[in-house]
Amino acid sequence: MGDLIAKARAQGRALSLSPEAFHKLSALVTLLILIFVFALSSPAFLSINNGLTVLLQTSVIGLLGIGMTMVIITGGIDLSVGSVLALSGTVTGLLVQAGVPVLPAMLAGIAVGALCGLVNGFVITKMRITPFVATLGMMLIARGIALQLTGAAPISRLGEAFGILGNGALFRIVEMRENGFPRVVFPGIPYPAILLLIVAIAAAYLLRRRQIGRHIYATGSNEEAARLSGVVVDRTKMIAYALSGALAGLSGMVLMSRLVTVQPNEGVMYELDAIAAAVIGGASLMGGVGNISGTMIGAFIIGILRNGLNMAGVSSFIQQIVIGVVVILAVYVDQLRSRR
Amino acid sequence: MALDAPQIQPLVEMKAIEKHFGGVEAVKSVSVDLYPGEVVGVLGHNGAGKSCLMRILSGAMMPNGGEIHVAGQKSDITSPHDARDLGIETIYQTLALADHLDAPANLFLGRELKTRFGNLDDRRMLREAQEVLRRLNPNFKNLGDPVSSLSGGQRQVIAIARAIYFDVKILIMDEPTAALGPSETAMVADLIRQLQSEGIGIFLVSHDMHDVFDLCDRVVVMNKGRNVGAFKIEDVTKDDVLSLIIKGELPDDWAPRNLETAR
Ligand SMILES: Nc1ncnc2c1ncn2[C@@H]1O[C@H](COP(=O)(O)OP(=O)(O)OP(=O)(O)O)[C@@H](O)[C@H]1O
Ligand SMILES: [Mg+2]
Repeated sequence: MGDLIAKARAQGRALSLSPEAFHKLSALVTLLILIFVFALSSPAFLSINNGLTVLLQTSVIGLLGIGMTMVIITGGIDLSVGSVLALSGTVTGLLVQAGVPVLPAMLAGIAVGALCGLVNGFVITKMRITPFVATLGMMLIARGIALQLTGAAPISRLGEAFGILGNGALFRIVEMRENGFPRVVFPGIPYPAILLLIVAIAAAYLLRRRQIGRHIYATGSNEEAARLSGVVVDRTKMIAYALSGALAGLSGMVLMSRLVTVQPNEGVMYELDAIAAAVIGGASLMGGVGNISGTMIGAFIIGILRNGLNMAGVSSFIQQIVIGVVVILAVYVDQLRSRR
Repeated sequence: MALDAPQIQPLVEMKAIEKHFGGVEAVKSVSVDLYPGEVVGVLGHNGAGKSCLMRILSGAMMPNGGEIHVAGQKSDITSPHDARDLGIETIYQTLALADHLDAPANLFLGRELKTRFGNLDDRRMLREAQEVLRRLNPNFKNLGDPVSSLSGGQRQVIAIARAIYFDVKILIMDEPTAALGPSETAMVADLIRQLQSEGIGIFLVSHDMHDVFDLCDRVVVMNKGRNVGAFKIEDVTKDDVLSLIIKGELPDDWAPRNLETAR
């Protein structure tokens, strides 16, 4: 295998690929191999319906992964996103239950997520607590508030409008058959997938074309140098954590809307999927490296692994093992590449 | 020469600057000044406090005591931003580059050029970077590479370019030629002379006696955090300066050099 990698590396250099592009390419190839293998093992895997299921499942990991990527590029980590997702959903659920219309309630939920992120940023930059500890604290706090607010009970009967974001689709074509039953001609593109695409493009634009993006990279690359160059490092980090929190809130909306139920226990360990997606996509926990398209590939690798293993009847325990191995392999290949 | 004309206002006056880290006294009541068009060498043994003094002026470090006057105005320099606003640019000993970014991104870090819509104007930054880097090193090519993959000298050239590109009035150079080859060092010397002729004041921290005597109008010597002497360059010999650096005092039989020759 080392042989193979060495050869691939030589080729990568011959094609004068940048290390980043090489990593992305290898992740993409992995993704295609996965799709190929699963398609062979289960004919239903390639069906449109299953494709949409994967899209839906991936959208939550993807949204969390985008926020995580920004935080990881600054050299930090956000362990709180799974809990913040639950807290945001809980707040929205309670508001809807209290009679607030769905849209403002969802915006409020996202705002709560952003607020959690801001608190993370404050604790990290002003109180000088390491990101790992600060967001670990927030993970417990947010989960605790969500459970306390609901008494650990799910909130259901939230109305049809609450389910639109998670279950609706664009260009859905439904035909009325003569016997009076509807038939779905084309299931449409699910809203969560559209949302993911929009957020991914916006985040990539922010990172590549805007000053704040450049400062996020600079902060993670060399914080002292960034500070000496006039980058307001604290503000940059606050923005990154706030965005991560807001995106956690948004993915909470997607997830809870899909279930049309608010579950304060939802999202446990999702932060690990988000970190895995970013890392598989080439982000470095040392900071300064990472990009959105890589994270999207990483999110799809995880989503497809989960889905494909499910369809092949592999237990969720084995799934965890497989994903764990994939994460380690991805980082190992990455290191081989940079250790030339 | 600038000293002979007292009506000229100094660009910088640092008065009784103090800096300590716990028990370590890095800078002890040091006062220095700098006039337009003047190059002042800041000398001293390793750990004498040169970089600390310079970092205090560039806003990278907060002093524990003392005052800084810039162009006659008392100035509170609390961040690198403040210093830049006063026209103080710094080439740090550590270079202060973001390794994962390329040369233009580093050159414009914190002051990125933008298009009308507020997007980063990478094309213009690349063009400008090419121009200013060529002035310092005509062989500079790999502008798109992350600076971590560049040589020490190339990195130093980027740090220098960053300091001179913007509207600089006071330039702090903390061992700017430590990693440079002879031709690049000569180019930096030319650059210093040119900036000097434009009326820019320069603090030059260096261990290279030859450069110091070649370029400086005055020298300030630090020893264990103290200012142990400030002299016009024509008044001292290399041996005098070495004695100040090592022992913290002049040789016993010292007399100003130009008086000596007059005798
Ligand atoms: N951030 C810091 N924290 C603690 N001590 C420091 C710090 N920066 C400098 N010092 C101490 O202050 C003293 C002066 O350091 P400084 O970097 O100014 O020396 P220098 O004259 O620039 O030396 P060199 O010629 O090696 O660059 C040293 O004793 C150093 O250990
Ligand atoms: Mg120094």
